[in-house]
Amino acid sequence: MLSIKDLHATVDGKEILKGINLEVNPGEIHAIMGPNGSGKSTLASVLAGRDNYEVTSGSVTYRDQDLLDMEPEIRAREGVFLAFQYPVEIPGVTNVYLLKAAINAVLKHRGEEELDAMSFLKLIKQKAALVEMKQEFLYRSVNGGFSGGEKKRNEILQMALLEPHLSILDETDSGLDIDALKIVAHGVNALRNDQRSMILVTHYQRLLDYIVPDYVHVLAGGVIIRSGDKSLALELEEKGYGWIESQADAA
Amino acid sequence: MTGMTEITEYYARQYHRLAENLPGQGTEWIKAYRHSRLSRFKTTGFPTTREEDWRYTSVRPITSREFSAIDASQPVEPDLWNSDQHLIEGLDSYRLVFVDGVLRTGLSDISPEDGVRVDSMANVLNERPDSIQHHFDLEQTEESHGFTELNRAFSKDGVVVELGSNVALEKPIELLFLSAGGESLAQPRNLIIAREGCKGQIMERYLSVREGASLTNSLSEVVLEHGAEVDYYLIQGQSSEACQVSGIWATQASESRFSCRTITLGGALVRNELKSRMLGVGAHCDMFGLYSLSGKQHVDNHTTMVHGAPGCTSNELYKGVLNQRSRGVFHGRIKVERDAQKTDAQQSNNTLLLSRNAEIDTKPQLEIYADDVKCSHGATVGQIDDVSLFYLRTRGISESDARSLLTFAFVNDVLNEIEIEPLKTLLESMLSNQLIDDQ
Ligand SMILES: Nc1ncnc2c1ncn2[C@@H]1O[C@H](COP(=O)(O)OP(=O)(O)OP(=O)(O)O)[C@@H](O)[C@H]1O
Ligand SMILES: [Mg+2]
Repeated sequence: MLSIKDLHATVDGKEILKGINLEVNPGEIHAIMGPNGSGKSTLASVLAGRDNYEVTSGSVTYRDQDLLDMEPEIRAREGVFLAFQYPVEIPGVTNVYLLKAAINAVLKHRGEEELDAMSFLKLIKQKAALVEMKQEFLYRSVNGGFSGGEKKRNEILQMALLEPHLSILDETDSGLDIDALKIVAHGVNALRNDQRSMILVTHYQRLLDYIVPDYVHVLAGGVIIRSGDKSLALELEEKGYGWIESQADAA
Repeated sequence: MTGMTEITEYYARQYHRLAENLPGQGTEWIKAYRHSRLSRFKTTGFPTTREEDWRYTSVRPITSREFSAIDASQPVEPDLWNSDQHLIEGLDSYRLVFVDGVLRTGLSDISPEDGVRVDSMANVLNERPDSIQHHFDLEQTEESHGFTELNRAFSKDGVVVELGSNVALEKPIELLFLSAGGESLAQPRNLIIAREGCKGQIMERYLSVREGASLTNSLSEVVLEHGAEVDYYLIQGQSSEACQVSGIWATQASESRFSCRTITLGGALVRNELKSRMLGVGAHCDMFGLYSLSGKQHVDNHTTMVHGAPGCTSNELYKGVLNQRSRGVFHGRIKVERDAQKTDAQQSNNTLLLSRNAEIDTKPQLEIYADDVKCSHGATVGQIDDVSLFYLRTRGISESDARSLLTFAFVNDVLNEIEIEPLKTLLESMLSNQLIDDQ
């Protein structure tokens, strides 16, 4: 699915990613944890194609294609989805308009027929129900006046609609109340199958109780300093990052 | 300066050549009126950038050419009119078509419903001048400039609309002004009288039907009596060689509502002067504007809200999208007279710059002589937000579509004020074509 090799990236001349290696196979869920400012969102943005990050070396292969060579919209149409840590408010564009444009862009890219108004509405209602989002949110402008948690839920709604092969969720659990966390987890799990892969960036082990990962990685100072299974998350919860960081420094 | 004097002389000579045949010239007061306007024109001349109100707008493209009024006795050339191109699809309206400022009855539908009177200005001046003498007498002269006086001196044609008391107009009155290029001069002069409690929509639309420079110097006066409600539209889509100076001046009695939308998508040099004088208690005025420019277009929106009585409210929102080397000017004047207590006046001008070579000059001007007043104004200038653009692209939307979408989102609140659905649809498609072309 995704193969990241020795990825280095800079922003404004400052190196943030300093040699990331990561292999994600179909059906796998990888959690990425790590201290603030370690480069988690940078990695997510580079994968989604944000152009103010410069990849200085390394490669990313996605389903046998050079991911870094594709425009962000092509990545999206090819099935890469990024749920933003800070979803953007776009006043004047309705949520439902964006959702319809997005799904039709994907369908068109695949050579499938675009959805007409009726079938789209039917589909979106069903997806909105999945994340327990009220209909009225569909007709508001994109994230306009949404609470922090509502924005995150809206990201999951988009994901549920687009059914991506590779989802990257950047702290989708942050700022969610307990019920919302369950709803989001339910939305994610509903999408899970042996073909779809996910990268979950999170600070909290709690999310991983609901969405159980196959692997947990610790990103610190722009590199993955440790990988393990879900027990690593529990260990981190207990001990913090200090102990691995000092081990990594020593090594 | 010699150039200015020469061009002023040029128009004065043109006036003298045509004067004999101007409508109503046989009527003594009309003749005297025209003469006095002409002499004012000769003394004021055309405005220059040394005048504060014209600081950002040079009228050189106008004064460096000699435009001339067409000979209205000739029939319209048949190839000029193309209903597929010139009509708004799906719009049912009472339509009056002017070619270079002269009403063409053959292309018009001049007989609307009961209680509504629509006539050409030429007809009224010829046949019943007394019915409008009052309005000519009351004219404001203190703030006029050369263009206004030139229009008034000719007072050649245009429309006189009277909406009777309590009439609710069933469909919009559409005044379609076509410019045929060839350095033609069109100077429509319109008078709209909205009687007590009436309600109606009126649209002025300007198009070029041929290539070549043209000058449109229009002036519309709108008189709203007690409780009248007029929705006005000024829709400008002339060619990239056309110049236009346009005045829409409203006088509002108590509890009247005047709402004007000015949409400018075309023209080389456009200057719009919108003015409302709210003279009766509880009047309300809206001015919404949208201009989307490219190339070297220059559009100057000059607005004046006069709160002349207590308890009047006004709301003004202008939005500009400037591409390439285009330039926008917004000057919003709000004047609150001494006894206009409980005034509420809002104004904002927001600009989206799509190119680093585009420019906007925006200037609010507040003159407040009353003390119990709520007045606010604001201006913003910005670019397309990178993060929003990226967000849309990560949802599969192409960069160019994302840019158009964000631009539309920016102008959305003004577009939503357009209550004539077929017009809105047309403008949306014109805007999106423009955005695609400019990318
Ligand atoms: N434009 C920029 N110029 C300089 N430094 C930047 C810029 N953008 C990001 N950074 C830095 O890059 C580093 C990594 O940021 P990133 O957002 O990837 O961290 P993160 O791991 O997602 O942190 P958090 O857990 O707080 O979300 C930070 O130190 C940040 O300050
Ligand atoms: Mg982050």
